[in-house]
Amino acid sequence: MDAWLTVGPAVSAAFLASVVEVVEAFTIVLAVATLRGWRPAVGGTAAALAVLGATVFALGPLLGRVPIHLLQLVIGVLLLLFGIGWLRKAALRAGGVIPLHDETAIFARETAELAEDTRRHATSQDWIAGIAAFKAVLLEGLEVVFIVIAVGAGRGLLWQAGLGALAACALVLAIGAALHRPLSRVPENTLKFGVGVMLSAIGVFWTGEGLGIEWPGADLSLPVFAALFLATALVSAGLARRMERGATA
Amino acid sequence: MTILRDVLAELLAMFVSDARLTAAVLALVAAAALLEQTLNQAPLIGGAVLLAGCLGILTGSVLLAARKHWKQAAARDSAI
Repeated sequence: MDAWLTVGPAVSAAFLASVVEVVEAFTIVLAVATLRGWRPAVGGTAAALAVLGATVFALGPLLGRVPIHLLQLVIGVLLLLFGIGWLRKAALRAGGVIPLHDETAIFARETAELAEDTRRHATSQDWIAGIAAFKAVLLEGLEVVFIVIAVGAGRGLLWQAGLGALAACALVLAIGAALHRPLSRVPENTLKFGVGVMLSAIGVFWTGEGLGIEWPGADLSLPVFAALFLATALVSAGLARRMERGATA
Repeated sequence: MTILRDVLAELLAMFVSDARLTAAVLALVAAAALLEQTLNQAPLIGGAVLLAGCLGILTGSVLLAARKHWKQAAARDSAI
């Protein structure tokens, strides 16, 4: 039970966050493949994954040398900033304040931009397409790398969190390859809500531990924190939507 | 160079999506640390402040953004 409470949130946060990011990266890689074929798309993706993998392998052992309380405090604060940021955005989307992510529209826009770029640089079309795929995977992957390191490093769960992220990559790529179109039906905002809740809860827990606070029930307090963040975000989203009626009445 | 700039911008955006939110979280952690130092006989007070503060910051940040958005939308509608 205790092991599950420690490993479960780390692996599921890495898995769900990776699904969100990989879906976004896949949309752009698919746009590249549709326009210029799979060679530049796969080449750019592989190069970006190599850079991201090297980053994890370089940073992982270094983190082991940082005192645990300092590591928990720094990563806890970063998780708070990142998690509450995601949760805020998800609540604003749920409240109708900012529009939902539309993968089909992004796919159409990326395809048009890439077509324009390659038309202007006729001699290096595959190169430009490969760079577009590389950049998309690198930028979306940075968030995955941070989450894997953040949820894994404080408890020596880097491998488990990494496997959660890899499982998400495999799942999205398998579904994407089968469908061969943007994964617009993935409930991205719901996933962002879930990930934001988990990262914020882990962020509070580790920031507190880094400051020397001993939470009642130790790891058992994590689900309580998560429930409080979920309830607060849902109420905030509801209030944000209600403000619309107030403003338009 | 463009890729490096984009990577740095992405890293910054990951933690500073909203400057006020970032400042509020950092101030809260500093306050919790101060409480933890001064009230080390009752460490849970710092923890309670940290947790309640995070929930308050989340709510305040969402409601401020929503109020600003709906006000601007109402002003646009009335201008048409």
